[in-house]
Amino acid sequence: MSLPGLDLAQSSVETEFNPAPPTQVSLTRGSEWRFEVAHGTTVRVKLLAGTAELFGTELAASQTYTFSGTKAAIYTWHGCTLEISAGDTIDGANGGATATGTGTGVPGLAGPTRGYGAGGCQSEYVAEETPMVEYANVHFALETLRQESKATGKDGPRVLIVGPENAGKTSLAKILTAYATKMERQPIVVNLDPTEGMLSVPGTLTATAFRTMIDVEEGWGNSPMSGPSPVPVKLPLVYFYPSQNPLENEGALYRPVLSRLALSVTGRMAEDEDARETGIIVDTPGVLGHGKPGSLELINHIVTEFSITTILVLGSERLYSSMLKSYDNKPTSSASAAASDERISVIKLPKSGGCVDRDAAFMKGVRESAIRSYFFGNPIPSTASAALSLSSASSTTNITLSPHAQQLDFNSMAVYNVAGAEDEDEDDYDPSQLESFLPGGGVNDYPESQPQPQEESTPTPVLPGTTPTPAPASASIPYDPASTTTTNPSPSNENETPLKKLPPPFPTTMANSLLAITHAPPTASPSEVRDASIMGFLYVADVDVEKGKMRVLAPMGGRVPPRAAVWGRRWPGEVVGLVG
Amino acid sequence: MSGLASDEVAEDYKNSLEDLTTNDRFQISNLTVIAKENTEHAMAISRVLENHIRTTPPMQKLPALYVVDSIVKNVGTPYTLFLGRNMYQTFMNAYTLVDSQTRRKLDEMLKTWKEPVPGSLDTRPVFPPEITRGIESALIKARTAALQQQQARSQQEIRTRSRVATPPGWTNSPTMLQNARQYPPNGQAPGYQSTENSYPLRFTPTPQQSQEVDLAALNRDIESLITAARGEFTNNPLDPSVQQRLKALLDLQGILQRQELTQEQLRLVRNQVSALGPKPVLPTAQAVPPIPAVSTPSMAATPAQPLSQPLQQLLNPGTLAGLIKATAARQQPTPPPQAANILPQMPTGNSTPLPATASTPENPLIAALRARGLLPGAAASPSTAPTPNMAPAFPFIVPGQVRYTPPVQAPQAMGTSESSMDVQMNTASIKIPRPGLIASLYEAKSNRCGTCGRRFFATEEGKEKKARHLDWHFKTNQRMAEAAKRAQNRSWYVDERDWIKSREVGDDQGLADAEASGDSAAGADGSSAKRGPPKQWIHAPNDATLRNTPCPICQEKFESTWSEEVQDWIWQDAVKVGNRVYHASCYSEVTKDGPGPAGGNTPIGRTGTPDSVLGKRKTEGTDSPGHHVRVKMEPV
Repeated sequence: MSLPGLDLAQSSVETEFNPAPPTQVSLTRGSEWRFEVAHGTTVRVKLLAGTAELFGTELAASQTYTFSGTKAAIYTWHGCTLEISAGDTIDGANGGATATGTGTGVPGLAGPTRGYGAGGCQSEYVAEETPMVEYANVHFALETLRQESKATGKDGPRVLIVGPENAGKTSLAKILTAYATKMERQPIVVNLDPTEGMLSVPGTLTATAFRTMIDVEEGWGNSPMSGPSPVPVKLPLVYFYPSQNPLENEGALYRPVLSRLALSVTGRMAEDEDARETGIIVDTPGVLGHGKPGSLELINHIVTEFSITTILVLGSERLYSSMLKSYDNKPTSSASAAASDERISVIKLPKSGGCVDRDAAFMKGVRESAIRSYFFGNPIPSTASAALSLSSASSTTNITLSPHAQQLDFNSMAVYNVAGAEDEDEDDYDPSQLESFLPGGGVNDYPESQPQPQEESTPTPVLPGTTPTPAPASASIPYDPASTTTTNPSPSNENETPLKKLPPPFPTTMANSLLAITHAPPTASPSEVRDASIMGFLYVADVDVEKGKMRVLAPMGGRVPPRAAVWGRRWPGEVVGLVG
Repeated sequence: MSGLASDEVAEDYKNSLEDLTTNDRFQISNLTVIAKENTEHAMAISRVLENHIRTTPPMQKLPALYVVDSIVKNVGTPYTLFLGRNMYQTFMNAYTLVDSQTRRKLDEMLKTWKEPVPGSLDTRPVFPPEITRGIESALIKARTAALQQQQARSQQEIRTRSRVATPPGWTNSPTMLQNARQYPPNGQAPGYQSTENSYPLRFTPTPQQSQEVDLAALNRDIESLITAARGEFTNNPLDPSVQQRLKALLDLQGILQRQELTQEQLRLVRNQVSALGPKPVLPTAQAVPPIPAVSTPSMAATPAQPLSQPLQQLLNPGTLAGLIKATAARQQPTPPPQAANILPQMPTGNSTPLPATASTPENPLIAALRARGLLPGAAASPSTAPTPNMAPAFPFIVPGQVRYTPPVQAPQAMGTSESSMDVQMNTASIKIPRPGLIASLYEAKSNRCGTCGRRFFATEEGKEKKARHLDWHFKTNQRMAEAAKRAQNRSWYVDERDWIKSREVGDDQGLADAEASGDSAAGADGSSAKRGPPKQWIHAPNDATLRNTPCPICQEKFESTWSEEVQDWIWQDAVKVGNRVYHASCYSEVTKDGPGPAGGNTPIGRTGTPDSVLGKRKTEGTDSPGHHVRVKMEPV
């Protein structure tokens, strides 16, 4: 437990806390200020003098940045002075969840708890020793490769970051991304870690081209919304992986999704010159960094699919040595590797001393806030965005989103679930069931479910299913990823797919969990559903088995698109009290 | 990281080394024993030793080098390996700074390094011959050059003997007592003396210089040097030192060909060229006695006015350290960044005094030539146009230095985004601090956006980008104020095809750029241009007067329709230009712009914000009620 104050009783801390006067922190060059802010409390940071950056993204002078539920570090290359002050506790946006959720939720995270550090940080200190020199040099080395690739017309470097949990993989990915965008590059950042989302909720695997600045306050930033955002939004391509552990079922579900994602990224690289020159940055789940059975095979799968050129190993000697043995100086898997003699380099990087273990309670908080902000927007009344705004009312300028609640008929839904995930779901997959099932009353409103197969049956190579040896990353194959309707679904693939269609009536346990709406039609086969990217999420507020209806929260109004949905039963799991 | 223990050992060792001020046998053997007991930290200790030798006052360099000697002889590997790596720099640095007596001792020590360890069964020399050979040949060349200068000076002295005027400042130097010579006061730069006294061996330029220089021969020599450097370059294209050397030589050739240099200047160049030559020019080089009079620690005498340093001093290896210091002081007054405590485990030898020369805009050789008035200003001379990729080029001056990697690459002239970098992707290389490159993230772009902290180049292009960026902020602010009145929501994620087709629109791209990145799906304008006539729309204004204002062109009122997608009332086929709303079709008719630019006029296209995603969906969706039917349209 690295969180002092987390276990304190909520009431005593709350009542005793008096907002301290703003504290000033002076950093000498090359040092960083590390801080931890609990969920539900906010800390404001202002750069008074000098330069400072948060995971590579530079802070603007004398703008106030508001942080909540985060463990981060502000580094300075030149020295700086920061002003730290306590922000408001979040009751309004958070209140529903914390108030009703405390009964069943993790006790430690019952309510906003303030720490005793400056500005109410749970922990904050200045550290002199950081691996930033190494990290920056990795960026410069990548930049060297990018210049080379621009000159020679090769693809830019594809970077894989591996290491155990809490080694700073995502932070490194952010630093490399931020520096690359600073050099006016456009890396494609791929998140393969289902425990933590990037621009989406946990349980997603995403790819995003970053051209604009990463949001300082909110992780990676925001995915598109109907309104404007003070920091440019990023457009992610999102796949759903309804489990926390990629190694589950020996990767039977993870691998095909991964391959599909890699194929899309390759397609983008082939068309987008900026992305091709800059290359890819891949962030991986920490569970692959332990040398568990199957993890090396999975890493190999990633290296092959993305034609990785550079492997950065963080914080694990053992993993480094095995990576070195398997990959160092080996040719990459890219199609042109043989011609251009492109070889993989394996680099060991020190783990930052600032990496702290994030315990289950904290991660749950992160998860809940990610899901909440997917539907409701940023709960933090950000003063930075207030300053940007022309209107004077500061509290209204934080981006508040309005999801729509609605009733859905069981019969209008095609819900898939991971097989074996559920005890009452013993009945085996029956292909005939798929045929007999037609989407409920809505079928007439959506005539596209009929014409679509014909339309989409253009000569498109079918994604190699679960076979782990797909033709990797050859840009020359005309690939049409939008064709989620494959013309010849092979039965063998389906049998291996751990996804199963869930017949109505849906169990009441579906309440408080997420449904991922895929881009696949409701009549699609399980393997198509598995491979399809997703449109977004529904939050199931409650399930009425008798009436055969459920109440859901959709991100936007209008009819919920008639698409196959995947139930995130075990992951991202239950989020209690999203709607009151 | 096992670094901690190593750091501690290194720190201890450093402290012990600092106590070593005299040639104390006991202390030296003690330090040897410590090194022997800590061979697992040999790298750290070697680094400490090298740093110590580099930084310690000249009087204490000899004992420190004796420690090195004792360690390599008594302990051997791995110290031989680690210390050998940078021995050339370490040795030459020390050698140039110590007095002649110490030099003799160093010469003796060097001699023993070529032989096997006394009493050892191992017949191999203390250091591998390639290390000692490099040092030796450099020394020989230095002596040759010194001899030539001495001859030149004596000639000149004969001529100037009659004029007597001892410049002030001479007597500061103890070496002058034995070496007092007279210099013509006329023709000297004002600050000359103050820096000169520390360096009795330099050549004094005098206009009366009469020694003829064979220009053709000189050109030939340079030519052959260039050929050699080219060959090296083809073998070793990524080695920066080779690149710099070649570049400098080419520059020199250019200067010679284009400039009318005086005989005296040519002579300087020739001397330097001969010193650079692959073979010693004088066949008698071996017989030359140790350099007679180069004695004063130039490290201690930081040149007060580096600009007035004579060319020869700049070119002579003996004053490199001083030059480096001077250049550093001139170009970046701030002290070098915290190189010391995060110093990599990879020893960098004498390269580390350099980090402050980050902003060297051009070859110091050329700068020095120009500073001395040997070259006209940059504007006048095409050959001396600032050479962007030129790191401090002193390595080429020191002969025999093959694998020199500059720790700091000079950042390019401001404004070039295509600054070339050369950082190898390997574990050793990424440990070297490169403050000069950090500048490419910060100082190189000095023009900051006050709102979000984004940086721009201080060039015209950068200013333009910043203007567009600020424009973006402004538009976004406006829209945010507007949007606050409406409910907003999260958009659906795009599907694979749209994502692949989408292009990120930066917040600094103007209309033209957005249009140029034409086939964008993220930008409504791009995709709609491709998919036939665009369906443009705006949110129906809340303001009643505006709502009742007809289109100024056709005088027809706008019709509000409810959009399921946007969850708001919208006006189809409408475009807002300035404060007025037009029918998009009317507007494009009148402006004859065609759909593309008109689309760009809406805030949608410019901001690259989610509306654009919706806007695009809108264009598909308005035709058919179920927008999920994707009417496939092939790109034109």
